[in-house]
Amino acid sequence: MNLLRMFLTQTRMNFTWYFQRDGEMIFWTLAMPVFFLVLFSFAFSSGPSTRTSTFLVPGIIGAQVLSSGFWGVGVMLATFREKHLLRRIYLTPLPSWIFFASLVAYRVTLLATQAVILIAVGALVFHVKINGNPAEILFILLLGTATFVSLGTIIGALARTTESANNIASILTVPLAFLSDAYIPIDRFPQPTPELLRLLPSTQFIEIFRAVSTAGASLTEYRGWILALCIWTIAGTVISARSFRWT
Amino acid sequence: MTTDAIVVDDLVKYYGDVHALDGITFRVRAGSIFGLLGRNGAGKTTTLECCIGLNRPTSGSVRIADLDPGNSRDLGKLRRLFGVQLQSTSLPEKATVGEVLTLYAAYYSIRPRAAEMAERVGLEGKLDRQIVQMSGGEQQRLALALALQHDPEIIFLDEPSAGMDAFGRRILWAEVEKLRDAGKTIVLTTHYIEEAQRLCDTICVVQRGKIVAEDTPANLIARFGGAARVSVRANGFAPDSELRSLGTWVQSGDEWQLVTAAEPGLALAAVVTKANVARATITSLDMHRPDLEDAFIALTGERLGEGQ
Repeated sequence: MNLLRMFLTQTRMNFTWYFQRDGEMIFWTLAMPVFFLVLFSFAFSSGPSTRTSTFLVPGIIGAQVLSSGFWGVGVMLATFREKHLLRRIYLTPLPSWIFFASLVAYRVTLLATQAVILIAVGALVFHVKINGNPAEILFILLLGTATFVSLGTIIGALARTTESANNIASILTVPLAFLSDAYIPIDRFPQPTPELLRLLPSTQFIEIFRAVSTAGASLTEYRGWILALCIWTIAGTVISARSFRWT
Repeated sequence: MTTDAIVVDDLVKYYGDVHALDGITFRVRAGSIFGLLGRNGAGKTTTLECCIGLNRPTSGSVRIADLDPGNSRDLGKLRRLFGVQLQSTSLPEKATVGEVLTLYAAYYSIRPRAAEMAERVGLEGKLDRQIVQMSGGEQQRLALALALQHDPEIIFLDEPSAGMDAFGRRILWAEVEKLRDAGKTIVLTTHYIEEAQRLCDTICVVQRGKIVAEDTPANLIARFGGAARVSVRANGFAPDSELRSLGTWVQSGDEWQLVTAAEPGLALAAVVTKANVARATITSLDMHRPDLEDAFIALTGERLGEGQ
């Protein structure tokens, strides 16, 4: 009961402090992805094309999952440490897993909101059809979030300053968004590049997510990649837990 | 019978070649106010951080209520037992006073008392104020409220009055005195003489990671403060044999200074009487009792004042 109260209060405060009262965050998380969808839908084909948008909607949501883990959690933790917020929390009885769980809950809720908005704009403006099983879509979205939050936490654990965390996150997020089948189909690259890129957890996650949400594929077709994402998640969590510093 | 709430034994902390702590040993009696007095960088904050589990000493030990803050299980128990006010502001900028107090009440699984706590630290009517809109002193007072909301038995205050104006300092001191009356144990670091002298039952003077003296404020002054001084400027005045029996007289220009072990008030009265009898006109008269600052200077060879 007390733990639930800690979790809910912390999650609510995360929303109020880091989203609701931060105009920049609202812009980057809600307006920017929609802007990308509209811009690229027109830019990548001669006119608005349902085929292009159907590729882009899950791609942009997937890219948001990546940056949510690297920026939203990784860089945020480094900022918290630099501003001495972490050392203050460390002095309280708040269990560290609840602190992390409420950070993840905040990011997952935000991602779900972003996904709903992108899917709605895609459907209304570009006639994108989402015909997958909602439970399977939610599952892969949560697994992807878990993977990239756990990897992002390594950045937050190892970076000494906000600035270096920022640099690491930029170096990872920007190329990965373009090399992981998020914005551009990687099959356009000459062989064997696409097959090599499919070894990346980001490519695997985005392709499963796209197949399950827009192509109506079943998760069972991707057992190997799902297992790989689980291993990345566990490895990321173990490394983060071992290297995380509160001060 | 008295018990020790805190036992610190031979704390040593190296940062590379720098000896931040060079053998710090002290005990804090339960229910007393213990002050670490020293200049910035003397090792006060590092000592305090070792007590609350934020820093690991290179060697030496700390026991708080018979628990070891370096042990994670003990630290888990200690977190409910102690309250801490840190030196730097460490709260999210966009958070309001009320929200932070509510959140911390959830951390400690206690009933939220945001309005009551805000009033206790002089922030009444400011529950909706965001951290970023508050002055440094107001933030410090909120940090104090967060340290006290769960009614801890042991309270650590790191430079509690830093950045506070006279109003804030009055509230802080009154609150600390109330906590002492309630039997709480308090450890505070400070570089304000006035604060140390007014609040502390015991003061440790810290210099370059070492304790150079530990005693009550009165005893520190008596032991290290030196003699009282009476200075007088009066034309046609010179101490006679009776005045000379009060202590050593030093003349510099037209000023006579008496260094005395006796009660300086009585010496002052004697000086005035003699000057009147001799019909000398007193142009300046000054009495200085040794204070904690004199003791500090005598002990460390350094001044404590601000802006060093």
